[in-house]
Amino acid sequence: MSTATTRTFDEHTLQSLPEVAPFLAAARARSFEEFRALPAPSPETEEWRYTDLSDFDLSFEPAAVGHPAMTTSNQDLEALGVLFCDLDEAAVQHPDLVREHLHGLVPTGRTKFTALHGAFRAGGTFLYVPRDVRVELPLQTLTHLDADGTAVFPHTVLIAAEGSDVTFIDRFTSRDLQRALSDAIAEIYVGDGARVRYASIQEWGTGVTHLGVQRATVGRDAELRSLAIGFGASLARAEAETVLDGQGGFSEMLGIFFADGAQHFDHRSVQDHVAPDCTSTLLYKGALRDASRAVFSGWVHVRPGAQKTDAMQTSRNLVLSEHAKADSIPNLEIEANDVRCGHAASVGPVDDETLFYLESRGIPRDEAERLIVTGFFQEVLDRVSLAEVRRGAELAIQEELGRTEEVGSG
Amino acid sequence: MAISQEEHLKELSKGYRFDWKDADHSVFQPKRGLSAEVVEEISSLKGEPDWMRKYRLKALKHFEARPMPWWGADLSDIDFENIFYFIRSTEKQAKNWEDLPDDIRGTWDKLGIPEAEKKYLGGVSAQYESEVVYHKIKKELDDIGVLFTDMDSALRDYPDLVREHFGTLIPANDNKFAALNTAVWSGGSFIYVPPGVQVDIPLQAYFRINAENMGQFERTLIIADEGSYVHYVEGCSAPIYSSDSLHSAVVEIKAMKGARVRYTTIQNWSTNVYNLVTKRAAAHEDAVMEWVDGNIGSKVTMKYPSIYLLGKGARGEVLSVAFAGKGMHTDAGGKAIHAAPYTTSVITSKSVSKDGGRTGYRGLVRVEPDAHHARSNVRCDALILDDESRSDTYPYIEVEDETAALGHEATVSKVGEDQLFYLMSRGLSEVEATAMIVNGFIEPITRELPMEYAVELNRLIELQMEGSVG
Repeated sequence: MSTATTRTFDEHTLQSLPEVAPFLAAARARSFEEFRALPAPSPETEEWRYTDLSDFDLSFEPAAVGHPAMTTSNQDLEALGVLFCDLDEAAVQHPDLVREHLHGLVPTGRTKFTALHGAFRAGGTFLYVPRDVRVELPLQTLTHLDADGTAVFPHTVLIAAEGSDVTFIDRFTSRDLQRALSDAIAEIYVGDGARVRYASIQEWGTGVTHLGVQRATVGRDAELRSLAIGFGASLARAEAETVLDGQGGFSEMLGIFFADGAQHFDHRSVQDHVAPDCTSTLLYKGALRDASRAVFSGWVHVRPGAQKTDAMQTSRNLVLSEHAKADSIPNLEIEANDVRCGHAASVGPVDDETLFYLESRGIPRDEAERLIVTGFFQEVLDRVSLAEVRRGAELAIQEELGRTEEVGSG
Repeated sequence: MAISQEEHLKELSKGYRFDWKDADHSVFQPKRGLSAEVVEEISSLKGEPDWMRKYRLKALKHFEARPMPWWGADLSDIDFENIFYFIRSTEKQAKNWEDLPDDIRGTWDKLGIPEAEKKYLGGVSAQYESEVVYHKIKKELDDIGVLFTDMDSALRDYPDLVREHFGTLIPANDNKFAALNTAVWSGGSFIYVPPGVQVDIPLQAYFRINAENMGQFERTLIIADEGSYVHYVEGCSAPIYSSDSLHSAVVEIKAMKGARVRYTTIQNWSTNVYNLVTKRAAAHEDAVMEWVDGNIGSKVTMKYPSIYLLGKGARGEVLSVAFAGKGMHTDAGGKAIHAAPYTTSVITSKSVSKDGGRTGYRGLVRVEPDAHHARSNVRCDALILDDESRSDTYPYIEVEDETAALGHEATVSKVGEDQLFYLMSRGLSEVEATAMIVNGFIEPITRELPMEYAVELNRLIELQMEGSVG
C-alpha cells in the first residue's frame, strides 16, 4: 500500500488504477461520471433519514482489497469447476460471467457511494459454483485494513448455479484507525434449487466508516440463509436485500449487533416477494451501550401475484445504558391477499422482573445482566448452523459484556 | 335512526347511502380559487379581529411556500384553483331545526341528527358547507359552565380564550394542509369544560358537504380543564360528484391535569373527497387522551391523530379503523410522543381493503430523552379481501431513553377459509359471512364506541361488503 500523500477520488487517481479488462475500464469511467453527477445522500430522504453523510469528507487513498483465501479443502474444487478467485482476475479469465453479474444486482448508479465503488474498486471476490456441485467446507474472504486514511471497496460476486450448495464468509477486520472507508458490495445469485449460506462478519476497528450493500436473488425452490454480524466500525450502514423471484424460494436473514461508545449502526433490510409460495424470515437482535445509536428499518414487499407468501420480520433492541438510542421501523407493503405476513419490533431495557428473579437467587446484578444479555442473543445464535461463526459471535458478545463494568447497569 | 328498514334495504342496493344533493343555498355567489383576496374576504365576512386576519394571511404564505408532501397518498390531482373555499348557506345560525330551509333540514333528518340529539346527545353542532347552521347545547351543561359553540362564535364571544390556545398545538406552518386550514378556516367546534366537570353524554358535531368542488376547512379546539371529562363525536358525509372536493380540518385538544378527553370520528365522505386532516392533542399530568378514529369513506385520507404526553403519568390511546374500497386510499394511523416520565400509550389499528383499495398504517412512537419509564404498545392488523387490494404498514419507533419499553406488532392476512366455511355451513351467504368476520375483526374498536355508533359502523361495513366477494 502506498504511503504517499493522501490522494482523493479524482480523475488522476482513476487513471493510476491498474488496467484490468477493457470492459471494466469503460464501466469505471461510467461510474466515475455517475459519482460526479450524483448528490451526496441527503438526510431529507427516507433512505438516509437516520445517517447524515451529506458533509462526509471523501479524502481517502483507494486501496486494493485482500485476496480470497481457500481454506484447506477436502475436495478438489478446481476439478469440480468451482471458480474462487480475485474478481479482477475473473474479469480476465471469465469476462462473460463477470460482465453479466458484476453490478447486476447493485447498479453503480444506486447512490453516490455505489458509484464511487464502481469507479475505484480494485480486487474483490468471485465465487462460482457449477450446477449440482456441493462445496462441503465454508469458503472465506478476509478483508483486512491497516493503513490510516485509506478506502477499500470490498466486492463479492457469488453465483450458485442450479442445484449447487455453498457456504461463504465475508470477514472484515482492522485495528483501530483515525479514519478509513469501507464501501462494500455483495451480489449473491442463488440459482433454482441451490442452497447458499452467506455470513458477513464486520469487525472493523474504530475510525472506519462502513457502507455495505448486499443484494441477493433467490430462484425457484432455492434457499439463502444470510447472517450479518456487526460489532465494529464507528459508523456502519448495512443494507441487506433479498429478492424472492422464483416460486417456492426461502430466505432467512439473521442479524446480530452490539454497539458501544459512540458507534452508529444503521441496518436496513428488504424482503421482496416477487414470486408466489415463498417464505422469508428476518430476525435482527442488538444490544446498545454507552452513547451508541442503532437504527433498524426493514421492508417486506409482497408484489401483486405473490400469493401464499409467508413473511416475518422481527427486530429486537436491548438498551443497556442511559445515553444509547434505538430506532426501529419495520415496514410492510402488501399487494397480494392470500398471505401471512407479520412483523414485530421492540426497544427496551433488561427486564426488571427477570433481573430481580436472578438477584433473589443470589446472582450478583452484573452477572445477572450478563446472563440476560447472553440469553437475549441465544435465540439468533441457535439458528446459526456454522459452528465456527457461532462460537466467534459468542466470544465477541462476552468480550463486549466484559467491558460493561465501568458503565454499570444504567 | 331516521331511516326505516325498507329504506335501509333500498339504500343498501345503491351502495353509498348519503348520496343526495340539496339545491344551492349559498347566500352570496361563491368564487373558486385561492388568493389573499379570498382570505381577506372570508375574514371580513366574519368580522374578525385584526390579529386573526393577519394570522390567516401569514398561513397562506406558508401554504404557498410549502411543497406537497412527497410521501403518503397521491395528491397530484387536487386542483386548488377549482375549489370553493367558502360557501355561506344560511344567513344566521339556527337554534331550532324548524328555522332551517326545508331541504337543509331534510338533510339533517335523513342523517338522523335531530333524533339522536333528543335521545343521547348533550349538544349538537351541524356544519353545512363552511358554517355551522344549527347549534345547541343542553341547558344543564350550559348552566355548569360548559362552553360548546362553533369556532366562529367562540372567536367573537371568548376572544381571549381562543387567542390563548388557537394554533398553539398545530402552528400555521406545521404542514401544508394545516397552513391551508389556518388561512381559510371556517366553522368547527370550540369546547371548554371547567375543572372537575364530567360531561357524561357525548357532544356531537356533524359535517356535511353539499356542493361540488367544495373545500371544507373546519377548525376545532377543545380544552378540558383539570379533572374534567368530555366525549366529542364527529361524523361527516357528502354527495357523490364526478369531480373532487377537499376536506382539510385542524383539531387541537388540551387535556389538562387529570382530565380525560375522548374524541370519536366516524368519517364517511363520498369517494370524491380528499380528506387531509391534522389532529393533535396535549395530555398533561395524569390526563387521558383517546382518539377513536373510524375512516370508512373518502377518496384519499391522510390522517394520523397524535398525542403529546407532556405530563408525568399521562396516558394516550389511539384506536383506528380504516377501510378502503375501489379507488380509495386510506392512509391512517397515530402518533404518541412521550415527553414526560411514566407515560403510556397504546395504538391499535385495524384495516380492511377490498376491490383494489389501499389501506395504510403510518405511525410514530417517540420517547424523548428524559421521559423515563415510558411504555408503549402498537398493534396493527390488516385484512385484505382480494388479490387487487393492498395494505401497507409504516411504523416508526424512536427511543432516546433506556428505561422505555416499546413494542410493535402487525399481521396481514385474508379472511380465513375455515371461518368462512363454518359460517356458510350454518346457512349464511358468503357476503354475510364475510361481513360478520370483518365486524369481528374490528370489534376491539367498535366495542369502545357508544352503542349507536358501533351499530352505525357495523352497518357501514356491511354496506361496503355488499356486492363484493366473487
